[in-house]
Amino acid sequence: MDGALTLRTGRRLGRQRLQDAAFRATTRLFAAGVLVLLGGIIVALAVEAVPAFSTYGWGFLVSDAWNPVKKNFGALPAIYGTLVTSAIAMVIGIPLAFGIAVFLTELCPPPLRRPIGVLIELLAAVPSIIYGIWGLFVLAPFLQLTVQPLLVSTLGELPVIGALFAGPPLGLGVLTAGIILGFMVLPFIASVMRDIFLTVPPMLRESAYGVGATTAEVVRHVVLPFTRVGVVGAIMLGLGRALGETMAVTFVIGNTHRIKPSLLAPGTTISATLANEFTEAVGDLYTSSLFALGFILFAITFIVLAAAKLMLIRLQQRAAT
Amino acid sequence: MSADLSTLSESIRVRPLTAPTRRSREPAAIEQTEPKVVVKDLRFYYKKFEALKGINLTLYDKRVTAFVGPSGCGKSTLLRVLNRIYELYPGQRATGEVLIDGRNILEPGQDLNLLRAKVGMVFQKPTPFPMSIYDNIAFGIRLYERLSASEVDERVEHALRRAALWDEVKDKLRQSGLSLSGGQQQRLCIARAVAVKPEILLLDEPASALDPISTQRIEELIAELKSDYCIAIVTHNMQQAARSSDFTAFMYLGELIEFNVTETIFTHPRERRTEDYITGRFG
Amino acid sequence: MTLYARRRAINLAYLALSWAATGVGLAVLFLILWTLLRNGIPALSPELFTTVTPPPGSRGGLANAIYGSVVMTAVATLVGTPIGILTGTYLAEYGRESWLAPVVRFVNDILLSAPSIIIGLFVYELMVVRMGHFSAWAGSVALAIIVIPVVVRTTENMMLLVPASLREAAIALGAPRWKVVVDVIYRAALQGMLTGVMLAIARIAGETAPLLFTALNNQFWSTDMNAPMANLPYVIFQFALSPYADWQVLAWGGAMVITFTILALNILARILTSGSDRNP
Repeated sequence: MDGALTLRTGRRLGRQRLQDAAFRATTRLFAAGVLVLLGGIIVALAVEAVPAFSTYGWGFLVSDAWNPVKKNFGALPAIYGTLVTSAIAMVIGIPLAFGIAVFLTELCPPPLRRPIGVLIELLAAVPSIIYGIWGLFVLAPFLQLTVQPLLVSTLGELPVIGALFAGPPLGLGVLTAGIILGFMVLPFIASVMRDIFLTVPPMLRESAYGVGATTAEVVRHVVLPFTRVGVVGAIMLGLGRALGETMAVTFVIGNTHRIKPSLLAPGTTISATLANEFTEAVGDLYTSSLFALGFILFAITFIVLAAAKLMLIRLQQRAAT
Repeated sequence: MSADLSTLSESIRVRPLTAPTRRSREPAAIEQTEPKVVVKDLRFYYKKFEALKGINLTLYDKRVTAFVGPSGCGKSTLLRVLNRIYELYPGQRATGEVLIDGRNILEPGQDLNLLRAKVGMVFQKPTPFPMSIYDNIAFGIRLYERLSASEVDERVEHALRRAALWDEVKDKLRQSGLSLSGGQQQRLCIARAVAVKPEILLLDEPASALDPISTQRIEELIAELKSDYCIAIVTHNMQQAARSSDFTAFMYLGELIEFNVTETIFTHPRERRTEDYITGRFG
Repeated sequence: MTLYARRRAINLAYLALSWAATGVGLAVLFLILWTLLRNGIPALSPELFTTVTPPPGSRGGLANAIYGSVVMTAVATLVGTPIGILTGTYLAEYGRESWLAPVVRFVNDILLSAPSIIIGLFVYELMVVRMGHFSAWAGSVALAIIVIPVVVRTTENMMLLVPASLREAAIALGAPRWKVVVDVIYRAALQGMLTGVMLAIARIAGETAPLLFTALNNQFWSTDMNAPMANLPYVIFQFALSPYADWQVLAWGGAMVITFTILALNILARILTSGSDRNP
C-alpha cells in the first residue's frame, strides 16, 4: 500500500502548504484593507478640514453664519438641521416600525407573512432620490395644503410649543424633511426589529400565550424585555442612517442656512449642504468648511453606528446562551 | 481502569447472554495481522473538559474494530483524533501518543494532509460535494496525483465498483452527487474515501442516517473492504457491531472499559458495565 | 370595567395600531409606485433609451444617463465583488483565529450604514483632486466602496451556513484549506453569494450622493471613463429641480425606470434565495 504514498511527493505537499499560506495571507490582506479604508476616510476628511478648524476653532461648531462672500462659515445651522430632521424621523419612524415588526411576527396570517415582509423590504430598497422627488411633488404640496395649516391653527396657538408650528405653511421645510426621512428609515428599522423579535425562543412566547396573556401583553412583557438591547440597537441603526441621508432631504428642506424655532421653516442639513454647494464652492476656506461639515457628520454617525453595533452584539450573545 | 489488552480472551464460564447467531470464527486468525494503529495514554480536551481519559488500544490491519457505548462516551471523539480533524477547531487538543505504522501522528511535525491521505473518514450524514458524481471521486484523486484523463476515469470506476455503486451510477456520472438517494450518497462518500487509496478507514456511524436496506448494503460493503483496510467503525447499533466487526471496544464516559474479540465481548464480557450496556440495562 | 375587559381593550388598541402601521407602510409604498407610474409613463417611449439628454426646451431622452449608470454600476460591481468575497472569506474561514476578524466585522458593518455622501467626499479627495478632473472611474470607485461591505456581509453569512460536515469531509480527504474553500465551500454557497451581489447592485444603482462629486454629469453622449459621465440619479436630481416641464417629464421617466429595475432585482434575488431552500 505504501507504493501509492510515494506518488505523493513531498514537493507536492510542500507546494500545497505554500498555497494555503498564500491564500490565508491574501484574504487577510483584503480584510485588513477594510480597516485601511476606514482610516483613509477619516484621514482624508480630517486633512481637508484642518484649514477651516484652524481658522474658526471650536467656534465653527456654534456659529450660525454662512457667508461665502465674506468667507464666514459656521456649522450650527447644518448640525441643527441634521439633528432635528433625524429626531422627527425617529418620532415618526420608530412607532410605525415597531407596529410593523409586531404585525409581522405576531399578527400577520402566516401565508401573508412572507409577501408583506418582502413588500416592506422593497420599501427599503426604493432609492432615496425617489423619496426626494416624491416628497417634493406629492407630500410637500399635500402638507402645505392640509396638514400644515391645521398645525398652525391648532398647535401653533398653544403657548411654548406654539413656536414650533408658527409661520407660513410653505410645504418645504424641516418638518417635511423629517417626515420623508421617517418614511425612509421606517422599513429599515422594521426589518431589523422583525429579525430581532424572531430571536425570541418560541417556547418563551408560547408559554406566555399558554397562561392566557394577550398579544399586547406578550409583546410588552416577554418579547420587549428579552430583545430590549437589540431594539435600542435597531433604533440607533436607523438613526445612523437618517443622519447621513442626503437626497431625500435635499429636495424638501429648503436649503437655508438659518435656524428658526418653527419646524415649518426651511433649513438645511449637513448632507444637503454638501450636495448643493460642494461643486460650486470657490475658495479653499469654503471647500475646507464643507469638508469640516463632512467630518462632523462622519463623527456623529460613526459614534451612533458603533454604539448600535455594540448593542446588537450584546443581544446576539444573549440569544446564543 | 483501562482494560488489559495483552491477553486475548479465553473462554470463561459465564452464563451465556443472548447474542445474535454469527458464523463461528477461529480466534487464531486474529493474531496473524499486524497492529496498524497503537493508541497510548491518549487524553483529549474540549477546552477544560477531559473527554478522553487515557485510552490505550490497538487497531489491527485488515480487521474491523467497532466502538460502542452510550452517547457522549467519547467514541466519535476518539475517531476524530486518528485523522486529527479536530485541529479545525481551536480549544480542542490531544495528549499522548497515536502510532500509525510506528510513527506518532500527534507530533507537531506531522504533515496533516499526508495523514489524511492515509486515513480516510466517512461521516454520519452523507456529505456529497456540490459537484457531479464523477468530480466527487476525482476531487480527492487529483489532490495527490497527476493522472491523465483516462487514468482518472479508471480510478473513478474502480472506486465506485469497490463501493458497490458503479452499476447504479455509471450512466449518470455527470449528474450532481446530490441527486442520489441517501444510501447511494453514503456509498458515494465511501467510494470517495477509498479512491485516494488510504490504509485506514474511519466510519462514524455510517449507516445511522439510512434506511434498513441501505444499512445492510453498507454492512456488506464493510465486510468486503475489510480485506484491504484497517477499519474502525463507531456505531450505536449493537447488532451491527456484533455482525460486522472482529474486535469491539466498549467505552463509557471517556474511558475504554473493555476491548476484546467481538464474540467474546458479546458472549462473555468481563466487566459488569459492558454486560449491562450490551443487555440494554442502560444507554 | 372588569380587568379582563380592560386587558382586551388595550390589546385591541395595540393590534389596531399595528395593523394601521403596516397599512401606512404599505400605503406609502403604493403611493410612491403609483406616482412614479402616473408621471413616468408619459415619458416612456423608445426615444427615452435612444436619445441623449437635451437642453431645456427640446425633446430628448436619457440614453447617456442610462449608459453611464449601467457602466459605472458594472465596473463598481466588478471591482468591489472580489474584494468583498475575499474579505468575507477571511471572516468565515479564519475568523476564529485572530483578533483581526471581529474588528473587521465591526468596521464593515459601520461602513455598511455610513453616509454615502461622505464616501463621495473621500473619493473626491482621493481621485478627483489627484487627477485634476471628474471621471467615471472616480464614480465607479465610490460605488465600489459601497458594494464592498454588502458583499462582505452576505459572503460571510452564506459561507458560515455551509454545514461543518461538508468542510470536514473535504479536509478529511487531505485537501489543503484553500482548495476546500474554493472547490467545495464556494460552490455550496454560490447561490447565496450571487444573491448578495444582486442586492449590492440594487443598492448602488440608485445612489446619487457618491456620484455628485466624482462622476458629476455629462450632457452629451460619452463613453470616456476618464471624463465626467452622465448618470440617471444625477440627471433626475438636476431635471426634477428645474423649472422646465419637459425636463421634469424626463426626470419622472428616469425615476420610474430606475425604481422598477431596482425592485425587479430585489424580487429576483429573493426568488433565488427561496429556491435554494428547497435543495437538500
